[in-house]
Amino acid sequence: MTKSGTLVVNQAAADADPRFVAPDLVALDSKGAPRLIGGHCRKCGAASFPRAAVCTNCMSEDIETVELAHEGTLYSYSIVHQAPKGWAVPYALGYVDLPSNIRVLAHLDAAADRIVINMPMRLAIGVVGADPSGKPLLSYTFTPV
Amino acid sequence: MREVCVIGTGLVAFGKYPNKTLAEIGWPAVKEAIVESGVPPKSIDAVYCGSALGGMLSGQRVMKSLGLTGMSIINIENACSSSSSALAEAWTAVSSGRHDIVVVVGVEKLTKFGGGTLPLENEDWEVNQGMVMPALYAMRAQRYMHEYGLTARQLGEVSVKAHEHGALNPNAQIRKRVSIEEVMASRPVADPFTLWHCCPTGDGAAALVIASADVARQHKANPVRVTASEVTSGLYTNGYRDMTWAELTARGAKEAYEMAGVGPDDIDVAEIHDAFTIAELMYYEAFGFCERGHAYELLSSGATSLGGDICVNPSGGLLSRGHPVGATGAAQAVEIVRQLEGRSGAHQVEGARVGLAHATGGGISGLDHGACSIHIFAR
Repeated sequence: MTKSGTLVVNQAAADADPRFVAPDLVALDSKGAPRLIGGHCRKCGAASFPRAAVCTNCMSEDIETVELAHEGTLYSYSIVHQAPKGWAVPYALGYVDLPSNIRVLAHLDAAADRIVINMPMRLAIGVVGADPSGKPLLSYTFTPV
Repeated sequence: MREVCVIGTGLVAFGKYPNKTLAEIGWPAVKEAIVESGVPPKSIDAVYCGSALGGMLSGQRVMKSLGLTGMSIINIENACSSSSSALAEAWTAVSSGRHDIVVVVGVEKLTKFGGGTLPLENEDWEVNQGMVMPALYAMRAQRYMHEYGLTARQLGEVSVKAHEHGALNPNAQIRKRVSIEEVMASRPVADPFTLWHCCPTGDGAAALVIASADVARQHKANPVRVTASEVTSGLYTNGYRDMTWAELTARGAKEAYEMAGVGPDDIDVAEIHDAFTIAELMYYEAFGFCERGHAYELLSSGATSLGGDICVNPSGGLLSRGHPVGATGAAQAVEIVRQLEGRSGAHQVEGARVGLAHATGGGISGLDHGACSIHIFAR
Protein backbone atom coordinates (compact mmCIF):
# COMPACT_ATOMS: atom_id res chain seq x y z
CA MET A 1 0.00 0.00 0.00
CA THR A 2 1.32 3.44 -0.86
CA LYS A 3 0.50 6.56 1.06
CA SER A 4 -1.36 8.96 -1.17
CA GLY A 5 0.38 12.25 -1.84
CA THR A 6 -0.71 12.94 -5.39
CA LEU A 7 -4.09 11.30 -5.34
CA VAL A 8 -6.60 12.73 -7.80
CA VAL A 9 -10.01 11.64 -6.64
CA ASN A 10 -12.11 10.93 -9.65
CA GLN A 11 -15.11 12.93 -8.44
CA ALA A 12 -15.28 15.24 -11.46
CA ALA A 13 -15.28 12.29 -13.81
CA ALA A 14 -17.81 10.54 -11.63
CA ASP A 15 -20.11 13.54 -11.56
CA ALA A 16 -19.88 13.87 -15.31
CA ASP A 17 -20.42 10.17 -15.79
CA PRO A 18 -23.07 8.75 -13.46
CA ARG A 19 -22.64 5.34 -15.07
CA PHE A 20 -19.67 4.57 -12.82
CA VAL A 21 -20.52 2.07 -10.03
CA ALA A 22 -19.33 3.33 -6.62
CA PRO A 23 -16.98 6.09 -7.92
CA ASP A 24 -15.75 6.78 -4.39
CA LEU A 25 -13.89 3.45 -4.37
CA VAL A 26 -11.63 4.28 -7.32
CA ALA A 27 -9.38 7.13 -8.40
CA LEU A 28 -6.93 7.71 -11.21
CA ASP A 29 -3.32 8.35 -10.26
CA SER A 30 -1.19 11.08 -11.85
CA LYS A 31 -0.50 8.82 -14.81
CA GLY A 32 -4.18 8.00 -15.34
CA ALA A 33 -3.99 4.47 -13.95
CA PRO A 34 -6.86 3.30 -11.71
CA ARG A 35 -6.22 2.94 -8.00
CA LEU A 36 -8.52 1.64 -5.27
CA ILE A 37 -9.09 4.10 -2.45
CA GLY A 38 -8.76 2.66 1.02
CA GLY A 39 -8.07 3.82 4.51
CA HIS A 40 -5.11 3.61 6.85
CA CYS A 41 -5.72 4.17 10.55
CA ARG A 42 -3.16 6.65 11.86
CA LYS A 43 -3.62 5.31 15.39
CA CYS A 44 -3.30 1.53 14.95
CA GLY A 45 -2.25 1.08 11.34
CA ALA A 46 -5.22 -1.06 10.29
CA ALA A 47 -6.06 -0.99 6.60
CA SER A 48 -9.60 -0.67 5.33
CA PHE A 49 -11.44 -1.01 2.05
CA PRO A 50 -13.75 0.66 1.39
CA ARG A 51 -12.11 3.44 3.43
CA ALA A 52 -13.59 3.16 6.92
CA ALA A 53 -15.02 6.27 8.58
CA VAL A 54 -14.12 4.74 11.93
CA CYS A 55 -11.42 2.14 12.44
CA THR A 56 -12.92 -1.32 12.93
CA ASN A 57 -9.85 -2.31 14.94
CA CYS A 58 -9.55 0.61 17.43
CA MET A 59 -12.55 2.93 16.74
CA SER A 60 -10.25 5.85 15.89
CA GLU A 61 -11.73 8.29 13.39
CA ASP A 62 -8.28 9.46 12.32
CA ILE A 63 -8.23 7.59 9.02
CA GLU A 64 -5.91 8.60 6.22
CA THR A 65 -7.14 8.13 2.65
CA VAL A 66 -4.64 6.02 0.73
CA GLU A 67 -4.19 4.25 -2.57
CA LEU A 68 -4.15 0.49 -2.26
CA ALA A 69 -1.80 -1.83 -4.09
CA HIS A 70 -3.06 -2.46 -7.59
CA GLU A 71 -1.90 -6.06 -7.85
CA GLY A 72 -3.06 -9.04 -5.86
CA THR A 73 -3.85 -12.75 -5.89
CA LEU A 74 -7.16 -14.36 -6.78
CA TYR A 75 -8.54 -16.15 -3.69
CA SER A 76 -11.67 -17.56 -5.31
CA TYR A 77 -14.15 -16.80 -8.08
CA SER A 78 -17.35 -17.85 -9.77
CA ILE A 79 -18.91 -17.32 -13.16
CA VAL A 80 -22.32 -15.83 -12.35
CA HIS A 81 -25.15 -16.69 -14.70
CA GLN A 82 -28.12 -15.39 -12.71
CA ALA A 83 -28.10 -11.89 -11.27
CA PRO A 84 -30.40 -8.90 -10.82
CA LYS A 85 -31.26 -6.83 -13.88
CA GLY A 86 -28.49 -4.55 -15.04
CA TRP A 87 -25.57 -6.94 -14.71
CA ALA A 88 -24.19 -8.37 -17.96
CA VAL A 89 -24.51 -12.12 -17.33
CA PRO A 90 -22.57 -14.26 -17.40
CA TYR A 91 -19.88 -12.38 -15.50
CA ALA A 92 -16.88 -13.49 -13.50
CA LEU A 93 -16.78 -12.36 -9.90
CA GLY A 94 -13.84 -12.95 -7.60
CA TYR A 95 -12.11 -12.09 -4.36
CA VAL A 96 -8.66 -10.61 -4.89
CA ASP A 97 -6.27 -10.50 -1.94
CA LEU A 98 -4.12 -7.38 -1.82
CA PRO A 99 -1.12 -6.96 0.46
CA SER A 100 -1.86 -5.47 3.93
CA ASN A 101 -4.69 -7.95 4.58
CA ILE A 102 -7.29 -6.45 2.24
CA ARG A 103 -9.69 -8.63 0.25
CA VAL A 104 -11.58 -6.97 -2.60
CA LEU A 105 -14.65 -8.26 -4.39
CA ALA A 106 -14.47 -7.42 -8.08
CA HIS A 107 -15.66 -8.29 -11.52
CA LEU A 108 -12.89 -10.19 -13.30
CA ASP A 109 -12.08 -9.10 -16.81
CA ALA A 110 -10.88 -12.43 -18.19
CA ALA A 111 -12.13 -15.34 -20.22
CA ALA A 112 -13.77 -17.89 -17.92
CA ASP A 113 -11.45 -20.70 -18.97
CA ARG A 114 -8.36 -18.59 -18.18
CA ILE A 115 -9.28 -17.97 -14.56
CA VAL A 116 -7.52 -20.07 -11.93
CA ILE A 117 -7.37 -19.74 -8.17
CA ASN A 118 -4.18 -18.06 -6.85
CA MET A 119 -3.39 -16.37 -10.18
CA PRO A 120 -1.91 -12.85 -9.99
CA MET A 121 -4.36 -10.11 -10.94
CA ARG A 122 -4.04 -6.41 -11.75
CA LEU A 123 -6.54 -3.57 -11.26
CA ALA A 124 -8.32 -2.20 -14.35
CA ILE A 125 -11.53 -0.41 -15.32
CA GLY A 126 -14.17 -2.18 -17.33
CA VAL A 127 -17.79 -2.33 -18.38
CA VAL A 128 -19.77 -4.54 -15.97
CA GLY A 129 -23.36 -4.00 -17.01
CA ALA A 130 -25.85 -1.39 -18.12
CA ASP A 131 -28.05 1.15 -16.37
CA PRO A 132 -31.85 1.14 -16.93
CA SER A 133 -31.45 3.35 -20.01
CA GLY A 134 -28.95 0.95 -21.52
CA LYS A 135 -25.81 3.05 -20.96
CA PRO A 136 -22.79 0.95 -20.01
CA LEU A 137 -21.96 0.72 -16.32
CA LEU A 138 -18.28 0.98 -15.44
CA SER A 139 -16.47 -0.29 -12.39
CA TYR A 140 -13.03 -1.30 -11.22
CA THR A 141 -12.18 -4.82 -12.33
CA PHE A 142 -9.23 -7.16 -12.03
CA THR A 143 -7.55 -8.74 -15.00
CA PRO A 144 -4.85 -11.45 -15.12
CA VAL A 145 -1.31 -10.07 -15.00
CA MET B 1 -32.95 -20.55 34.21
CA ARG B 2 -36.01 -22.79 33.79
CA GLU B 3 -36.27 -25.74 31.47
CA VAL B 4 -38.24 -24.97 28.29
CA CYS B 5 -40.33 -27.45 26.28
CA VAL B 6 -42.14 -27.43 22.96
CA ILE B 7 -45.82 -28.33 23.26
CA GLY B 8 -47.21 -27.41 19.87
CA THR B 9 -46.05 -27.28 16.25
CA GLY B 10 -47.60 -25.96 13.08
CA LEU B 11 -46.41 -25.82 9.51
CA VAL B 12 -47.69 -24.53 6.20
CA ALA B 13 -46.06 -26.52 3.39
CA PHE B 14 -43.51 -24.31 1.67
CA GLY B 15 -44.46 -23.38 -1.87
CA LYS B 16 -45.71 -20.49 -3.98
CA TYR B 17 -48.71 -18.59 -2.69
CA PRO B 18 -48.66 -15.37 -4.75
CA ASN B 19 -52.37 -14.76 -4.19
CA LYS B 20 -52.23 -14.96 -0.41
CA THR B 21 -51.14 -12.20 1.96
CA LEU B 22 -48.37 -12.74 4.49
CA ALA B 23 -51.03 -13.03 7.22
CA GLU B 24 -52.99 -15.59 5.20
CA ILE B 25 -49.84 -17.68 4.82
CA GLY B 26 -48.97 -17.37 8.50
CA TRP B 27 -52.11 -17.86 10.57
CA PRO B 28 -52.78 -21.54 9.75
CA ALA B 29 -49.37 -22.48 11.14
CA VAL B 30 -50.03 -20.59 14.37
CA LYS B 31 -53.52 -22.06 14.75
CA GLU B 32 -52.21 -25.59 14.22
CA ALA B 33 -49.51 -25.10 16.87
CA ILE B 34 -51.96 -23.67 19.42
CA VAL B 35 -54.55 -26.41 18.84
CA GLU B 36 -51.86 -29.07 19.09
CA SER B 37 -50.56 -27.59 22.36
CA GLY B 38 -53.98 -27.62 24.01
CA VAL B 39 -53.30 -24.32 25.78
CA PRO B 40 -56.17 -21.84 26.03
CA PRO B 41 -55.36 -19.14 23.46
CA LYS B 42 -55.84 -16.45 26.09
CA SER B 43 -53.00 -17.93 28.15
CA ILE B 44 -50.40 -16.99 25.52
CA ASP B 45 -48.11 -14.46 27.16
CA ALA B 46 -46.15 -13.31 24.12
CA VAL B 47 -45.51 -13.84 20.42
CA TYR B 48 -42.13 -13.69 18.70
CA CYS B 49 -42.41 -13.43 14.92
CA GLY B 50 -39.47 -13.91 12.57
CA SER B 51 -39.63 -12.57 9.03
CA ALA B 52 -36.81 -11.24 6.89
CA LEU B 53 -38.72 -9.46 4.17
CA GLY B 54 -42.33 -9.48 5.38
CA GLY B 55 -42.35 -5.82 6.28
CA MET B 56 -43.56 -3.94 9.33
CA LEU B 57 -45.63 -5.66 12.05
CA SER B 58 -45.65 -9.12 10.47
CA GLY B 59 -46.51 -10.75 13.79
CA GLN B 60 -49.46 -8.47 14.46
CA ARG B 61 -50.78 -9.09 10.93
CA VAL B 62 -50.68 -12.85 11.52
CA MET B 63 -52.07 -12.80 15.07
CA LYS B 64 -54.95 -10.42 14.41
CA SER B 65 -56.19 -12.86 11.76
CA LEU B 66 -56.79 -15.27 14.64
CA GLY B 67 -58.19 -12.58 16.92
CA LEU B 68 -55.29 -13.10 19.32
CA THR B 69 -53.92 -9.70 20.23
CA GLY B 70 -53.10 -7.58 23.22
CA MET B 71 -50.11 -9.58 24.44
CA SER B 72 -46.51 -8.64 23.73
CA ILE B 73 -45.81 -9.21 20.01
CA ILE B 74 -42.17 -8.78 19.00
CA ASN B 75 -41.02 -8.84 15.37
CA ILE B 76 -37.54 -10.07 14.60
CA GLU B 77 -35.54 -9.68 11.40
CA ASN B 78 -32.25 -11.59 11.22
CA ALA B 79 -32.12 -12.71 7.57
CA CYS B 80 -32.22 -16.51 7.25
CA SER B 81 -32.04 -16.81 11.03
CA SER B 82 -35.10 -14.62 11.65
CA SER B 83 -37.48 -17.18 13.11
CA SER B 84 -34.72 -19.21 14.79
CA SER B 85 -33.67 -15.96 16.44
CA ALA B 86 -37.34 -15.47 17.38
CA LEU B 87 -37.26 -18.93 18.97
CA ALA B 88 -34.10 -18.01 20.86
CA GLU B 89 -35.70 -14.83 22.20
CA ALA B 90 -38.84 -16.76 23.12
CA TRP B 91 -36.69 -19.37 24.87
CA THR B 92 -34.99 -16.61 26.86
CA ALA B 93 -38.33 -15.13 27.86
CA VAL B 94 -39.64 -18.46 29.16
CA SER B 95 -36.38 -19.68 30.60
CA SER B 96 -35.88 -16.48 32.56
CA GLY B 97 -39.34 -16.74 34.10
CA ARG B 98 -40.74 -13.66 32.42
CA HIS B 99 -43.32 -15.66 30.46
CA ASP B 100 -44.83 -19.16 30.79
CA ILE B 101 -46.36 -19.77 27.33
CA VAL B 102 -45.01 -18.18 24.17
CA VAL B 103 -45.80 -18.54 20.46
CA VAL B 104 -42.99 -18.46 17.91
CA VAL B 105 -43.87 -17.96 14.27
CA GLY B 106 -41.77 -17.64 11.13
CA VAL B 107 -43.49 -16.36 8.03
CA GLU B 108 -42.30 -15.22 4.63
CA LYS B 109 -43.67 -14.41 1.20
CA LEU B 110 -40.90 -14.26 -1.40
CA THR B 111 -43.19 -14.58 -4.44
CA LYS B 112 -43.88 -10.87 -4.06
CA PHE B 113 -40.41 -10.26 -5.53
CA GLY B 114 -41.21 -12.23 -8.68
CA GLY B 115 -38.39 -14.81 -8.51
CA GLY B 116 -34.65 -14.68 -9.10
CA THR B 117 -31.95 -14.34 -6.47
CA LEU B 118 -32.85 -12.98 -3.06
CA PRO B 119 -32.91 -9.16 -2.96
CA LEU B 120 -29.94 -7.93 -0.93
CA GLU B 121 -29.21 -4.57 0.69
CA ASN B 122 -28.00 -2.11 -1.94
CA GLU B 123 -26.10 -0.05 0.63
CA ASP B 124 -23.67 -2.97 0.86
CA TRP B 125 -20.59 -2.26 -1.26
CA GLU B 126 -20.20 -5.87 -2.39
CA VAL B 127 -23.82 -6.01 -3.51
CA ASN B 128 -23.05 -2.87 -5.51
CA GLN B 129 -20.25 -4.74 -7.24
CA GLY B 130 -22.48 -7.63 -8.29
CA MET B 131 -22.54 -9.94 -5.28
CA VAL B 132 -25.46 -12.35 -5.16
CA MET B 133 -25.97 -15.15 -2.64
CA PRO B 134 -25.28 -17.99 -5.11
CA ALA B 135 -21.94 -16.34 -6.00
CA LEU B 136 -20.87 -16.10 -2.36
CA TYR B 137 -21.49 -19.80 -1.75
CA ALA B 138 -20.07 -20.66 -5.18
CA MET B 139 -16.78 -18.98 -4.27
CA ARG B 140 -16.68 -21.07 -1.10
CA ALA B 141 -17.28 -24.13 -3.22
CA GLN B 142 -14.55 -23.23 -5.73
CA ARG B 143 -12.00 -22.69 -2.99
CA TYR B 144 -13.06 -25.88 -1.18
CA MET B 145 -12.74 -27.83 -4.45
CA HIS B 146 -9.32 -26.27 -5.01
CA GLU B 147 -8.05 -27.17 -1.55
CA TYR B 148 -9.62 -30.60 -1.05
CA GLY B 149 -10.02 -31.96 -4.58
CA LEU B 150 -13.82 -32.16 -4.39
CA THR B 151 -15.47 -32.33 -7.83
CA ALA B 152 -18.63 -30.57 -8.98
CA ARG B 153 -20.24 -33.95 -9.51
CA GLN B 154 -19.47 -35.03 -5.94
CA LEU B 155 -20.91 -31.73 -4.74
CA GLY B 156 -24.05 -32.45 -6.75
CA GLU B 157 -24.63 -35.61 -4.72
CA VAL B 158 -25.71 -33.38 -1.82
CA SER B 159 -28.67 -32.32 -3.95
CA VAL B 160 -29.48 -35.91 -4.90
CA LYS B 161 -29.62 -36.86 -1.20
CA ALA B 162 -31.71 -33.81 -0.30
CA HIS B 163 -34.32 -34.62 -2.92
CA GLU B 164 -34.43 -38.30 -1.96
CA HIS B 165 -35.46 -37.12 1.49
CA GLY B 166 -37.76 -34.35 0.27
CA ALA B 167 -39.64 -36.77 -1.99
CA LEU B 168 -40.78 -38.51 1.20
CA ASN B 169 -41.93 -35.32 2.94
CA PRO B 170 -45.49 -34.17 2.13
CA ASN B 171 -44.54 -30.67 3.32
CA ALA B 172 -41.58 -30.25 0.96
CA GLN B 173 -41.74 -27.61 -1.75
CA ILE B 174 -40.00 -29.89 -4.27
CA ARG B 175 -41.16 -33.50 -3.99
CA LYS B 176 -39.14 -34.85 -6.86
CA ARG B 177 -36.10 -37.10 -6.87
CA VAL B 178 -33.26 -35.94 -9.11
CA SER B 179 -30.42 -37.96 -10.56
CA ILE B 180 -26.82 -36.75 -10.53
CA GLU B 181 -27.09 -36.45 -14.33
CA GLU B 182 -30.08 -34.11 -13.96
CA VAL B 183 -28.22 -32.04 -11.37
CA MET B 184 -25.20 -31.69 -13.65
CA ALA B 185 -27.26 -30.93 -16.78
CA SER B 186 -29.55 -28.25 -15.32
CA ARG B 187 -28.93 -24.61 -16.16
CA PRO B 188 -25.91 -22.88 -14.63
CA VAL B 189 -26.52 -20.36 -11.81
CA ALA B 190 -23.03 -19.60 -10.46
CA ASP B 191 -20.23 -22.07 -11.24
CA PRO B 192 -19.97 -24.76 -9.97
CA PHE B 193 -23.67 -24.50 -9.11
CA THR B 194 -26.41 -25.49 -11.49
CA LEU B 195 -30.03 -24.86 -10.56
CA TRP B 196 -30.30 -28.07 -8.50
CA HIS B 197 -27.39 -26.96 -6.30
CA CYS B 198 -29.52 -24.02 -5.11
CA CYS B 199 -32.50 -23.91 -2.78
CA PRO B 200 -35.76 -22.67 -4.28
CA THR B 201 -37.36 -19.45 -3.08
CA GLY B 202 -40.98 -19.45 -2.02
CA ASP B 203 -43.52 -18.75 0.66
CA GLY B 204 -44.46 -20.47 3.87
CA ALA B 205 -44.84 -20.40 7.61
CA ALA B 206 -44.08 -22.45 10.69
CA ALA B 207 -44.96 -22.01 14.33
CA LEU B 208 -44.26 -23.45 17.76
CA VAL B 209 -45.77 -23.08 21.19
CA ILE B 210 -43.14 -23.28 23.90
CA ALA B 211 -43.68 -23.32 27.64
CA SER B 212 -41.87 -23.71 30.92
CA ALA B 213 -41.44 -27.40 31.80
CA ASP B 214 -43.98 -27.32 34.63
CA VAL B 215 -46.64 -25.73 32.45
CA ALA B 216 -45.70 -27.97 29.51
CA ARG B 217 -46.24 -31.13 31.54
CA GLN B 218 -49.79 -30.03 32.41
CA HIS B 219 -50.57 -30.24 28.71
CA LYS B 220 -48.33 -32.97 27.38
CA ALA B 221 -46.63 -36.11 28.69
CA ASN B 222 -42.92 -36.30 27.94
CA PRO B 223 -42.64 -33.09 25.90
CA VAL B 224 -39.58 -32.34 23.76
CA ARG B 225 -37.12 -30.22 25.72
CA VAL B 226 -35.05 -27.36 24.29
CA THR B 227 -31.59 -28.12 25.66
CA ALA B 228 -29.64 -25.41 23.84
CA SER B 229 -30.67 -22.10 22.31
CA GLU B 230 -28.19 -19.61 20.99
CA VAL B 231 -27.65 -16.87 18.41
CA THR B 232 -24.30 -15.54 17.25
CA SER B 233 -23.21 -13.05 14.59
CA GLY B 234 -20.39 -13.17 12.09
CA LEU B 235 -16.98 -11.68 12.89
CA TYR B 236 -16.19 -8.61 10.80
CA THR B 237 -13.01 -8.31 8.79
CA ASN B 238 -12.22 -6.57 5.53
CA GLY B 239 -9.17 -8.80 5.25
CA TYR B 240 -8.43 -12.39 4.44
CA ARG B 241 -10.80 -15.14 5.53
CA ASP B 242 -10.67 -18.91 5.08
CA MET B 243 -13.82 -19.44 3.02
CA THR B 244 -13.60 -23.23 3.32
CA TRP B 245 -14.33 -23.07 7.05
CA ALA B 246 -17.73 -22.00 8.44
CA GLU B 247 -16.28 -20.13 11.40
CA LEU B 248 -19.58 -18.64 12.55
CA THR B 249 -21.37 -21.99 12.59
CA ALA B 250 -18.43 -23.75 14.24
CA ARG B 251 -18.40 -21.14 17.01
CA GLY B 252 -22.15 -21.43 17.49
CA ALA B 253 -22.00 -25.23 17.46
CA LYS B 254 -19.40 -25.23 20.22
CA GLU B 255 -21.58 -22.98 22.38
CA ALA B 256 -24.70 -25.04 21.69
CA TYR B 257 -22.99 -28.35 22.45
CA GLU B 258 -21.69 -26.95 25.74
CA MET B 259 -25.09 -25.61 26.69
CA ALA B 260 -26.82 -28.93 25.97
CA GLY B 261 -24.01 -31.02 27.43
CA VAL B 262 -23.74 -33.09 24.26
CA GLY B 263 -21.28 -33.55 21.42
CA PRO B 264 -21.56 -34.30 17.71
CA ASP B 265 -21.70 -38.07 18.37
CA ASP B 266 -24.91 -37.60 20.39
CA ILE B 267 -26.89 -36.00 17.54
CA ASP B 268 -29.34 -38.42 15.90
CA VAL B 269 -30.95 -36.00 13.47
CA ALA B 270 -30.06 -32.50 12.26
CA GLU B 271 -31.71 -29.88 10.12
CA ILE B 272 -28.87 -27.70 8.86
CA HIS B 273 -28.78 -24.72 6.55
CA ASP B 274 -28.14 -26.22 3.12
CA ALA B 275 -29.02 -23.13 1.08
CA PHE B 276 -26.52 -24.40 -1.50
CA THR B 277 -24.87 -27.81 -1.77
CA ILE B 278 -21.46 -26.71 -0.50
CA ALA B 279 -23.08 -25.37 2.67
CA GLU B 280 -24.18 -28.81 3.82
CA LEU B 281 -20.66 -30.22 3.41
CA MET B 282 -19.00 -27.29 5.17
CA TYR B 283 -21.48 -27.55 8.04
CA TYR B 284 -20.76 -31.27 8.52
CA GLU B 285 -17.25 -30.12 9.36
CA ALA B 286 -18.29 -27.11 11.44
CA PHE B 287 -20.58 -29.29 13.57
CA GLY B 288 -17.82 -31.86 14.03
CA PHE B 289 -19.70 -34.65 12.25
CA CYS B 290 -16.39 -35.28 10.44
CA GLU B 291 -12.88 -33.84 10.17
CA ARG B 292 -12.08 -30.90 7.89
CA GLY B 293 -11.90 -31.89 4.25
CA HIS B 294 -13.75 -35.17 4.81
CA ALA B 295 -17.36 -34.06 4.36
CA TYR B 296 -17.83 -35.80 1.03
CA GLU B 297 -16.65 -39.09 2.52
CA LEU B 298 -19.30 -38.72 5.23
CA LEU B 299 -21.99 -37.99 2.64
CA SER B 300 -21.01 -40.85 0.34
CA SER B 301 -20.86 -43.28 3.28
CA GLY B 302 -24.61 -42.81 3.69
CA ALA B 303 -24.20 -41.74 7.32
CA THR B 304 -26.15 -38.52 6.74
CA SER B 305 -28.95 -40.17 4.73
CA LEU B 306 -32.12 -41.65 6.21
CA GLY B 307 -31.04 -44.84 7.93
CA GLY B 308 -27.55 -43.47 8.63
CA ASP B 309 -26.00 -42.68 12.02
CA ILE B 310 -26.48 -38.92 11.81
CA CYS B 311 -29.33 -38.15 9.45
CA VAL B 312 -28.98 -34.62 8.08
CA ASN B 313 -32.00 -32.85 6.64
CA PRO B 314 -34.56 -35.67 6.60
CA SER B 315 -37.13 -33.02 5.59
CA GLY B 316 -35.22 -32.43 2.37
CA GLY B 317 -33.56 -29.37 3.83
CA LEU B 318 -33.59 -25.97 2.22
CA LEU B 319 -32.75 -27.58 -1.13
CA SER B 320 -35.97 -29.60 -1.22
CA ARG B 321 -38.29 -28.50 1.60
CA GLY B 322 -37.71 -24.93 0.43
CA HIS B 323 -36.39 -21.72 1.94
CA PRO B 324 -38.85 -18.88 2.56
CA VAL B 325 -36.03 -17.14 4.39
CA GLY B 326 -37.63 -15.93 7.61
CA ALA B 327 -39.77 -19.06 8.02
CA THR B 328 -36.92 -21.56 7.72
CA GLY B 329 -35.64 -21.60 11.31
CA ALA B 330 -39.09 -22.29 12.78
CA ALA B 331 -39.75 -24.97 10.15
CA GLN B 332 -36.48 -26.70 11.05
CA ALA B 333 -37.47 -26.64 14.72
CA VAL B 334 -40.92 -28.05 13.89
CA GLU B 335 -39.26 -30.81 11.88
CA ILE B 336 -36.89 -31.79 14.69
CA VAL B 337 -39.64 -31.75 17.33
CA ARG B 338 -41.85 -33.99 15.19
CA GLN B 339 -38.88 -36.30 14.50
CA LEU B 340 -38.25 -36.68 18.24
CA GLU B 341 -41.95 -37.36 18.74
CA GLY B 342 -41.84 -40.06 16.07
CA ARG B 343 -44.42 -38.31 13.89
CA SER B 344 -42.50 -37.89 10.63
CA GLY B 345 -43.98 -40.75 8.65
CA ALA B 346 -42.03 -41.79 5.57
CA HIS B 347 -39.05 -39.62 6.44
CA GLN B 348 -38.91 -40.59 10.13
CA VAL B 349 -35.44 -41.06 11.63
CA GLU B 350 -36.02 -44.18 13.70
CA GLY B 351 -35.30 -43.83 17.40
CA ALA B 352 -34.21 -40.18 17.21
CA ARG B 353 -33.74 -38.79 20.72
CA VAL B 354 -31.46 -35.76 20.24
CA GLY B 355 -31.86 -33.36 17.35
CA LEU B 356 -30.31 -30.13 16.16
CA ALA B 357 -31.63 -27.19 14.10
CA HIS B 358 -29.31 -24.68 12.47
CA ALA B 359 -30.27 -21.58 10.51
CA THR B 360 -27.58 -19.19 9.39
CA GLY B 361 -27.26 -16.62 6.69
CA GLY B 362 -27.53 -13.12 5.51
CA GLY B 363 -25.26 -11.84 2.78
CA ILE B 364 -23.28 -8.94 4.21
CA SER B 365 -19.80 -7.83 3.22
CA GLY B 366 -17.04 -8.48 5.73
CA LEU B 367 -18.96 -11.16 7.65
CA ASP B 368 -19.01 -14.92 7.18
CA HIS B 369 -22.77 -14.52 7.55
CA GLY B 370 -24.90 -12.02 9.38
CA ALA B 371 -26.38 -14.41 11.91
CA CYS B 372 -26.40 -18.01 13.05
CA SER B 373 -28.91 -19.61 15.40
CA ILE B 374 -28.63 -23.15 16.72
CA HIS B 375 -31.06 -25.11 18.85
CA ILE B 376 -30.70 -28.58 20.31
CA PHE B 377 -33.75 -30.60 21.32
CA ALA B 378 -34.02 -33.80 23.34
CA ARG B 379 -36.71 -36.14 24.46
